[in-house]
Amino acid sequence: MVDIETMSRYVSPINPAVFPHLTFVLLGIGIFFTAWFFVYEVTSNKQTRDIKKELLVSLVASIFSGFGILFLLLSVGIYV
Amino acid sequence: MLKLIIIAFLFTNFHTKTTNGAIINKNVERVIDLSTQLVKISSAITLENTGKDAESKYIITLEPNSIRNLSFISAKDSYKEELKVTETKNELGQVFSVKLNHPLAASRTSTINVEFVLTNSLVPYPSSIVQKDKQLVRYFGNHYFYSPYLTTKQTTSVIVNTRSIENYSKLKPVSQSDSSITYGPYNDVAALTVDPMIVHFENNAPFLSVTRLERLIEVSHWGNIAVEENIDILHTGAKLKGSFSRYDYQRDTSNNHHSIKSYKTILPAAAHSVYYRDSNGNISTSQVRARKDWIELELRPRYPLFGGWRSSYMLGYSVPSYQYLYKGVNNQYALRMRLIDNVFDDMHVEYLETSVVLPVGVTNVKLSTPYEVERLSDSIAYKYLDTKGRPIIRFAKRNLVEQHIQDLEITYEWQPLLLLHEPVLLSIALYLLFIVVIIYVRLDFSISKPEHVKTQ
Repeated sequence: MVDIETMSRYVSPINPAVFPHLTFVLLGIGIFFTAWFFVYEVTSNKQTRDIKKELLVSLVASIFSGFGILFLLLSVGIYV
Repeated sequence: MLKLIIIAFLFTNFHTKTTNGAIINKNVERVIDLSTQLVKISSAITLENTGKDAESKYIITLEPNSIRNLSFISAKDSYKEELKVTETKNELGQVFSVKLNHPLAASRTSTINVEFVLTNSLVPYPSSIVQKDKQLVRYFGNHYFYSPYLTTKQTTSVIVNTRSIENYSKLKPVSQSDSSITYGPYNDVAALTVDPMIVHFENNAPFLSVTRLERLIEVSHWGNIAVEENIDILHTGAKLKGSFSRYDYQRDTSNNHHSIKSYKTILPAAAHSVYYRDSNGNISTSQVRARKDWIELELRPRYPLFGGWRSSYMLGYSVPSYQYLYKGVNNQYALRMRLIDNVFDDMHVEYLETSVVLPVGVTNVKLSTPYEVERLSDSIAYKYLDTKGRPIIRFAKRNLVEQHIQDLEITYEWQPLLLLHEPVLLSIALYLLFIVVIIYVRLDFSISKPEHVKTQ
């Protein structure tokens, strides 16, 4: 058994007070890239389509949206 | 040689058992507090060692008919330091052996304070009453301090917290003042003497038992610990005879009624997001008051509780993790939290089941509890965004009171990188959706070729 007295208090890596702000910023960026992706998908045709650009934009969109959704869950009280 | 050692060992063992008779209780002052639904017996015992050898062990025990109602026992020395109490079985049945901090030398005296808390020991008599009646209970005890040693002098005072005492057994000398009865002093009472004591008095304190308490603690390393308690309560006082009249109930404004209108639960000072609901939904009759060092929650069941009536509800709250979670070296973490918390003052919990849900991917889990509990089999819970499931540490205990509100400790190993498990999972799921869209726009489901292709 490890002695608790020698341990330090655990502090979460991100202060829960900033969860709502993080949600707004990350989800904002995520939604912007998602919108860009879909606008690009419907406005381009077979000739002008660039697979690299599609994959890159969707990757950025999914990373920001993923983290945004996580902080949305955390800020409403669903501690995953 | 070995044989000799064994024989010597056996002899010393036997020797300590018998020489314990050399101790006598020089003076015992016993206080039996019957003012709540629990029976709290505290005894200040002055020991004297009349033998020749130093003694380091003192045996305490209870009458055979009350030992099964024993919920909590503690012993302190005269400096208020906790003494180690171990439960053993010997020819007297179940006894408790107290290890004295300093061995008691021959012909020396020492004082220890022993506290017992008994449950289910106040029997309502009459066992059923109508709504406007007062609740009367009987206590069956012993006029003498029950001890395996000779007791030279003893006094007992019984606190009932009411002036209306119907009847009490009178073993002279006995005197009654305001709200207490004093028995004794009695001199030179032999070991293990029983002389039945009966006190019949009015007790309108809430007779409320928690028949089942399920406590769920969910640890999240994002900085939160969620606690949820599923509570079944039962009014264990005198049963309600006849019908319940809401009109009479509203007109009766005296606080001193045997029914239970509301009670108070104490939550940790940092608790937030409190909810109080049952199977029908939210119960709106609750009030949260923030005190300096705790949060007081006044809960009012959907209906007043009379003898034999039940109710059940769910109480939940969140506390920040920094107060309960500790971090050591090599990804070692420890959780220190109450394994049972206050439900109401002078509570009695018949069955407790505590489950601790640990984060995803913990290994090497160790549980330590302040007293013995029955460890149940571990299981796995699936919460939001879980692929692997979270381990649940479960344990149970019967017959608990306020004194059992103590901390459990769970240590485990955990990789902080696992915190990224959920967001990465979400990102991958979203990315797969985007890839489906990318593939979809490249598919052509049309039967005829579009116009602009035909013209080319």
